[in-house]
Amino acid sequence: MVFDPWIVLRFWPQLLDGARITLLAFGIALAIGIPIATIVCAGRLRGGGVLAGLSAGYVTVFRIIPEAVMIFWMFYCLPPLTGYAVSGLWSGSLALALISGAYLAEIFRAGIQSVDRGQWEAAKAMALPRWITWTRIIIPQAARFATPPFINFLTELLKGTTLLATIGVADLALRAYVLGSQTFRYLEFLTAIAIIYFVIIFPVARFAERIEHRLAAATR
Amino acid sequence: MIDLTNLDFTWLPRFIIPLSWGLWTTVWLAVAAFLIAVPSGLILALGRVRGGWFVRWPILAFVDVVRFTPLLVQAVWIHFALPVLTGYSLSPNQSGLIALSLHVSAYICEIMRAGIVAIPKGQWEAARALGFRPWSIFRLVILPQVWPLVLPPLANTAVGTFKLTAILGIIAVTDLTRAANRINTFVFRPLEVYTVVALIYLAIGLLLAWGAATIERRYATPQRGRSAAATNLALNPAVEASRHGF
Repeated sequence: MVFDPWIVLRFWPQLLDGARITLLAFGIALAIGIPIATIVCAGRLRGGGVLAGLSAGYVTVFRIIPEAVMIFWMFYCLPPLTGYAVSGLWSGSLALALISGAYLAEIFRAGIQSVDRGQWEAAKAMALPRWITWTRIIIPQAARFATPPFINFLTELLKGTTLLATIGVADLALRAYVLGSQTFRYLEFLTAIAIIYFVIIFPVARFAERIEHRLAAATR
Repeated sequence: MIDLTNLDFTWLPRFIIPLSWGLWTTVWLAVAAFLIAVPSGLILALGRVRGGWFVRWPILAFVDVVRFTPLLVQAVWIHFALPVLTGYSLSPNQSGLIALSLHVSAYICEIMRAGIVAIPKGQWEAARALGFRPWSIFRLVILPQVWPLVLPPLANTAVGTFKLTAILGIIAVTDLTRAANRINTFVFRPLEVYTVVALIYLAIGLLLAWGAATIERRYATPQRGRSAAATNLALNPAVEASRHGF
């Protein structure tokens, strides 16, 4: 069997369309996941009460149930539960969004709790209003701590979008798999998308590692 | 809209055996992959820390390629593309086990490397000054100090390994997830089937996560004489939070 990388280029438009679906799922998951994470994080920071318990439960459940299972659950159960015909792309992205909400809530919370207690006390001593304390003092510092894990999470989420292939969403991974089976050129197509994912994720992850090290050096 | 009072679980007793088989496949795959990945991750980490460039660079390349591509792509590659290169076809379970152990060993390599690097250089030097041979230094002096550092992240990786098995259904490994798909095609009760399966995963996952949390509590307390890097490794929840998903 001759290795023929040029065949990938011939089917490039289809792969590009798959990449578009992948990005769409990624965007939907983030756009819904970040607000969920903010709410859940706020709930967890309350310390006690029903809200804190609910938020903690949410984080536990959505971090422990495997992503693939969650995606299948959404894909098959959302239409009968809501009565609407929900497409695979939307149900899958929604599952990823709920999971992202749980992971990001933990990342946000860890960031906020990394801010020194003295900052709270100083703000209180200066009689700053709660709102100003949050927006001008706590969140800017928390964002610094949360940035490396947040970027890391983005790479994880991009890898997670491949799971939509299991419910037949024609993302990059499924396109390559189908093209491979149609042309009997699995090696070329599967290697090509492995390279594509690597080329996207590698620099982002390296960048996150670099700022993580700089942050660790700065705060020591 | 579905009427929630119409839930029907009468299929459950009839399909308890396929469900148990699926669960068994999930469990042994996760356990086997983890048991393969811990020693191989440790060896890879040792090579990365102590080896020459001709050892370090291939390991670095392997670890990065595995960590920065999705497991689904790796599994499909090993099951469908690798046979083109080798000429041997693997069964879904074999491919799944290979993909999962490779994937997890790359992550464990990173954990072990961080653990080994966290041990102060003086420990290596002191052991050498006392006349230990290189392998003995690692086995008798370094490794006993590395274990308590790496146990909490390793426990989290174990939870992650269990979760990752659900992806292997794509190459027709009949794990619990795929068993659910197949049962659903018989009974067509998706809400009930997938909820039951999700609850099974949740129950086992909670058990594992509880174990991991216990280990974390036991080992995460910073001890006297530990380097700052070690304390960072053990105590940074923000770093860990994002690292056992998908």
